[in-house]
Amino acid sequence: MSEPLIQVENLGIAYRLSRNRAGTFKEFAIRAVKRQVTFEKLWAVRGVSFDVRPGEVFGVVGPNGAGKSSLMKAVARVLPPSEGRVVVRGTVAPMIELGAGFNPELSAQENIVLYGALLGRRPELMRERTHDILAWADLLEFADVPIRSFSTGMLARLGFAVATDVQPDVLVVDEVLSVGDEAFQVKSRARIRQLMDSGVSIVLVSHSLPLIEETADRAMWMDHGAPKMIGNPTDVVSAYREWSK
Amino acid sequence: MTTPVRVYDSDQLRKPLVSVFRNLWQFRGLLRLLVTRDLTLRYKRSALGVWWTLLNPLLTMSVLWIVFSQVFRFEIPGVPFAVYLLSGILIITLFAQGVNSTGAAMVNNAGVLSKVYVPAEVFAFSSGVAAAANFAISLLPLFAIQLVTGVGVPWTALLIPLPLIMLLAFTIGVGLLVAAAAVYFYDVLDLTNVFLQLVSYLVPTFYPISMIPERFLPIIQINPLYSYLKVFRGFAYEGVFAPGWNFVVMIVSGVAMLVLGVWVFSRSWKNLVVLL
Repeated sequence: MSEPLIQVENLGIAYRLSRNRAGTFKEFAIRAVKRQVTFEKLWAVRGVSFDVRPGEVFGVVGPNGAGKSSLMKAVARVLPPSEGRVVVRGTVAPMIELGAGFNPELSAQENIVLYGALLGRRPELMRERTHDILAWADLLEFADVPIRSFSTGMLARLGFAVATDVQPDVLVVDEVLSVGDEAFQVKSRARIRQLMDSGVSIVLVSHSLPLIEETADRAMWMDHGAPKMIGNPTDVVSAYREWSK
Repeated sequence: MTTPVRVYDSDQLRKPLVSVFRNLWQFRGLLRLLVTRDLTLRYKRSALGVWWTLLNPLLTMSVLWIVFSQVFRFEIPGVPFAVYLLSGILIITLFAQGVNSTGAAMVNNAGVLSKVYVPAEVFAFSSGVAAAANFAISLLPLFAIQLVTGVGVPWTALLIPLPLIMLLAFTIGVGLLVAAAAVYFYDVLDLTNVFLQLVSYLVPTFYPISMIPERFLPIIQINPLYSYLKVFRGFAYEGVFAPGWNFVVMIVSGVAMLVLGVWVFSRSWKNLVVLL
């Protein structure tokens, strides 16, 4: 029995931005003198535990503001846990917001290298891969164009192509499969499928319930930062549907 | 499994100090990329491009030269005023630019830092290093003026990397403190600007040190930047070693500031990302 690739134990993520957060140092100084500095904690996620094994697809559903995105960020190690523990064995390809880190002034080619470096890949390696990435994203003719003139769909294609270029051990997907036109959706699904077949673990957040039912091996329904139900995706999805009505 | 796997365990997050330098090493490719991006992108949409890096200090110097050399008739014994002025401007610019950009690094890159895992210190350090690279490029116009005015370039100019590296350490240290504070309060960056302006007047960039009354002298000399400037000027055109205490102040303040900045930054990092 192999070890789980992702272990989330009693995870809690708290934000401290309440109405009492002083925006400026001046305000803070004044409040400190008046002794009005208080920090209120807002728990975006609390008491969440689950494991994801190699090759498993773990789906997460829930209404807006349920803490799904915060959970994804904790798995992608963007947010440190406020309590509990997150262990991830292997490389993570975060697809939380495609192309976060693109620079509008740089060309598509330069952005591939930059975005790859942000994901921790070596620039030399990225330069070698540039052609293939552009070819997959159908953007070869725009290689030298600054991406500020790109359309949203083009950006999404480029971001997806870079993020999935190297085979990761864990893929964290937050609602990005719904961007782009029909052709791109088909293409990106095919690529995800291919990654799944090769044993990548996936944590998938989506409002598309059919997608979760169809692809996930297990699912979790979250509400107000806490897990309401974990189990078979069909059961979880139908319970969530029932509740949403 | 045969290949070594990268394991992320949130329980082993951040042993301060060491982890910062380990992260910088691990992301050195990104660091290099960010520095070059910083240098080339700043002038990307301008006609003169990177030539601005050379022109910028020259323009500032020309204005100050007209005001102080021609209008106020300042004179520095033994060296053309332009050389004295430009060498001072370079040091002050490196410090001010470095602290400003390092300080703004967290806030400016909030979009990336809250979506992709990148150690925040990579952004902070890259801004500081870019300022230092700018400084290195700006040495060319300085040496050009030294040659034109007949001062020449002494062999000690080869030793400039020493004060440069120490000033870089000092600058990044201060910048990291600002960066951590700027996440909490957005007016910190404005306050920093005011502070930097004040500090730059306290260093003899455009006035001779002999103009300072005896009783105010300690105020000038206690400022670590004074020592950096003194050592730098000694190497760049005087061809001499500054007094020993200047070296001591330079090295001690540089190392201490960097350690302090990195320590505070890595201690507060956990809270910072949540606040972004």
